[in-house]
Amino acid sequence: MAKHKARYTLLLLIVAGLLVFAAGLKESTPARAQETSQYCLGCHGKPETSMTLPGGETLSLYISPEMLQNSVHAQAGIECSACHTDIKSYPHPENKYATKRELSRAYYMACRSCHSVNYEKTLDSMHAKAAEQGNLNAPICTDCHGAHDVQKPDEPRARVSTTCGRCHTQIYSQYKDSVHGGALIKEDNPDVPVCTDCHGVHNIHDPRTEQFRIEEPDLCAGCHANAELMSKYNLPSNVYDLYKLSWHGVDVSVYKARWPTIWHDSAVCSDCHGVHNIRKTSDPASSVSSQNLLGTCQKCHPSAGPNWVGAWTGHHEVSLSRTPFLFYTQAFYTSFTPFVLWLSILYVVLQIVRSVVDRVRGSLSK
Amino acid sequence: MTASLPSTTPVEKSVSTIRTVPRFSVGQRWEHSIVLISIVLLLLTGLPQKYRATTWSQQILTTPDRLYAIQNIHRIAAVVLTLLVLYHLGHTLYLLSKRHLSGNMLPSLQDIRDAFQMGRYLLFLTNRKPKFGKYNFEQKFTYWFLFFSIGIMVVSGFILWFPIAITRILPGEIIPSAKLAHSTEAIVTLVFIVIWHFYHVHLERLNLSIFTGWLNEKDARTYHPLEFERLTGEPSEPRQTGDDH
Repeated sequence: MAKHKARYTLLLLIVAGLLVFAAGLKESTPARAQETSQYCLGCHGKPETSMTLPGGETLSLYISPEMLQNSVHAQAGIECSACHTDIKSYPHPENKYATKRELSRAYYMACRSCHSVNYEKTLDSMHAKAAEQGNLNAPICTDCHGAHDVQKPDEPRARVSTTCGRCHTQIYSQYKDSVHGGALIKEDNPDVPVCTDCHGVHNIHDPRTEQFRIEEPDLCAGCHANAELMSKYNLPSNVYDLYKLSWHGVDVSVYKARWPTIWHDSAVCSDCHGVHNIRKTSDPASSVSSQNLLGTCQKCHPSAGPNWVGAWTGHHEVSLSRTPFLFYTQAFYTSFTPFVLWLSILYVVLQIVRSVVDRVRGSLSK
Repeated sequence: MTASLPSTTPVEKSVSTIRTVPRFSVGQRWEHSIVLISIVLLLLTGLPQKYRATTWSQQILTTPDRLYAIQNIHRIAAVVLTLLVLYHLGHTLYLLSKRHLSGNMLPSLQDIRDAFQMGRYLLFLTNRKPKFGKYNFEQKFTYWFLFFSIGIMVVSGFILWFPIAITRILPGEIIPSAKLAHSTEAIVTLVFIVIWHFYHVHLERLNLSIFTGWLNEKDARTYHPLEFERLTGEPSEPRQTGDDH
């Protein structure tokens, strides 16, 4: 029995060895690059490997070989020392960091050596500002992308929003119930915006500024004025053009052209439709549904009465069925008034002709 | 009546006497001046608001404070014009109640006949101009056109000034309608004044009677012969004594 088992094990080892050899032949470069990884995993592949930092925290030094193997870096053949540049051999240089966070904030600078463009962008971000103001929990590369387990950040697309949602929990819970978030999470919709589509990726700016507010209609128009995209969802693509003609829209365009740094109170898209919690206009829970519209108007026009909502024509063409009085007013100014004006002009022109002819005749007959 | 001067002894040739006939009362001249000033102010402060999206407007309205300033001037001028309209209507009603309203500004069948005759004259179908009374059909058209223009501007302007109060009573779509009417009617009025009114009072002849109150004899004979005859009892065309007018 024991003899039989030993033979079986030997056979398995040979097969495994052949397989490893074959794999090595096929992808010789990554395999060789990971020789050092294998060396490191000799110690760091043991789950119990850990150390106590001077600050008192216990830092696990365990790196799961499977996790490492699945990361985009390992698959591209990038080895441990590419990031851990200070560690050349064993024993390692002495640890200089008191806490885990301190260590992470020092080590993530390694990303910069390859991803310098994105790194530079982060310096201009809201997150970098928070860190400058002393918030060490402000995210660094590895907080969003992972460290040893780096994956493609947008596969699936919903990963982007869940990543942001790890810190921005409240906003994420609003977003996932919104028309955009719902389609993203439930249907993996390729068109709805994820966080980064509106906020930017590495250079995420403060969205509460005058500048962000003044740019906001254009941001929404990026998709909502795209006829091809909107027709896919049976949505009108003229909402932005009609908005620009409306009272709010004209005001915003003037501020944008002249006073982009002055805060304005004219309604932009999100003031009425919501920000992260945008719903379909047909959804009764939408801030612009017929039940909620007056309340939404009253945010800015507090004493408005129920008839007030009828004054809103900002996303609608003038039509006989929806706004008959406006329709007839427009008809008056496109037919009767021009007719009267042209008649007056014609009359004056005829008068000029007759008086010139009479004068010329008069001077000739003298 | 009072305008006809007694024939005096011959004076020096260098002195010429211009006979005049009365045309507008002091009150009417004041009304015209106030309308003129308020409409100019309303246009100057209204047009930059209408054309806010254009560069020229934005060069005037360089700060939000400037916008608020011209809006305030616009409202003050609007109140002045509104008070004038109320005075004009009230005065008319007063005259009507006293049976003193002459009614010579009301459109009549004669105006249609005159317009027809004038059309024939302008198309070279006749060489005879119609003979007009105190107000010819052109002047009546000016009055009534601006009467309704100003009416539309005042009503729509107040709707836009107090939209929330208005929609307590009237449906909401009155607001965008008022905006459209106010914005368009302003241009219609401007075009009409420039083309029609300016031609008739500046180019056809310089007619300043609305400021002076008087019309000189020559213009009175030429443009308002019937009124001249009514006032002076003289024929408007002295040489053609056989004329039945």
